[in-house]
Amino acid sequence: MDEGASLSRFNEVVLPHLSAALSLARWITGNTSDAEDVVQEACLNAFGGMASYDGGNAKAWLLTIVRRTSYRWLSQNRKPVEKAMGDLTDLEEATTISGANINPKLNPETNYLASASVAALEAAITTLPEPFRETLVLRDINELSYREIATMIEVPMGTVMSRLARARSLLKTELEKSR
Amino acid sequence: MMDDDQLSENKIAMPLMVQALVDGELDPATARKIENLIAADPALAAQHDSLLALKAAIRRVPQPAISSALRMKIAAIGSPVQPTNTATVLSFPARLASRSYDWRALAASIMVTAVLASGATRLLNLNSSPDSFTMAIADDHRRSLLAASPFDVASSDRHTVKPWLDAKLGVSPPAPDLAAQGFSLAGGRVEVISDRPIPTLVYRHHEHLISLVAEPRHDAGVSEPVDQSVAGFSVVKWSDGAFAYWAISDTEWPDLNDFVAQFRAAANPK
Repeated sequence: MDEGASLSRFNEVVLPHLSAALSLARWITGNTSDAEDVVQEACLNAFGGMASYDGGNAKAWLLTIVRRTSYRWLSQNRKPVEKAMGDLTDLEEATTISGANINPKLNPETNYLASASVAALEAAITTLPEPFRETLVLRDINELSYREIATMIEVPMGTVMSRLARARSLLKTELEKSR
Repeated sequence: MMDDDQLSENKIAMPLMVQALVDGELDPATARKIENLIAADPALAAQHDSLLALKAAIRRVPQPAISSALRMKIAAIGSPVQPTNTATVLSFPARLASRSYDWRALAASIMVTAVLASGATRLLNLNSSPDSFTMAIADDHRRSLLAASPFDVASSDRHTVKPWLDAKLGVSPPAPDLAAQGFSLAGGRVEVISDRPIPTLVYRHHEHLISLVAEPRHDAGVSEPVDQSVAGFSVVKWSDGAFAYWAISDTEWPDLNDFVAQFRAAANPK
């Protein structure tokens, strides 16, 4: 691919998804200013790697780069964050075994979800342990498919589904607390 | 994904299947089976409803706005760069300079690329660097002009256009007929921008078409019209608290501004 083609491809493929890119980077890094650094760097990487874009879902392609860049950025700029939760593997196993995710006894009345403020929602999403938050953000905010998420974070689709279920369950509990 | 017996007997998998249904990940046949099971089981129905409510709530979380500083830096990646801008454009935060690979080499190669590529200068337009949403609207407007019909429902009767949009999207903007003012309602269509279906009205003014994209905004403040030029079209953007509007056309500025004034007067009478 020559430079001109690369350039017009970049404009076509990357620019429409800047907002999604910033959103993902913000949810991973935790603040907008770091997210902007990450997005700028990710866009440079995307421009350099334009030839590797295969014509699939442009957003998924860009977000894969943004995600990778975010974590590299975090590992280079932040001290390792102490894990607030126990061991992730345990948690996932527990989730799978209980099937859990959704508490069948949950009050069917869903008004508290409909009336939750944006601030409460954002705060609740922030409290999610990272792998769950990431999966939820990729699905419900960036609107990627299970398969796209599985490919991106390199886990089986079943894991995507159970993480997503767990994330939503935790989110509901959190929102219910704050109502 | 799994056969019937597994579906009905596998209690563990059911929550995930309900979730997959809500996420639109099931094929039609499986989706129908799950829907039948939900209809017969109040506990599943409750799970289903609460997932829908949660997803609807999350959809209200706004995407962060792209700052103009960031937009300029990104646009500069894909555009010819003035030498005087080089320092700004390529001045990464110092902490990034310690990365393992040599970003200076990468940046230098991009500089070469940018200088060679003389095509796309529009993104460097500092005063009106359009956001990707506005760019998408411009592209859709251009596409509509090239398509066999610029609208999905052709009608000068707002009592046809509004219900059609309502039925498609569950929401429709005000659709006043401004024929007396020289802008006749020609029809409506649905744009899909950033993966969201957005109602669009089409008005005709002499030989020109005006697309009026109306994005529902529960949280929109009221903002006055702002003029922009995007990809050769004139765009006026404003919002009235319920919708954010983009009027786009190849008509002359005075005509478009007149249209916006007329539409606002008719849609939100004082």
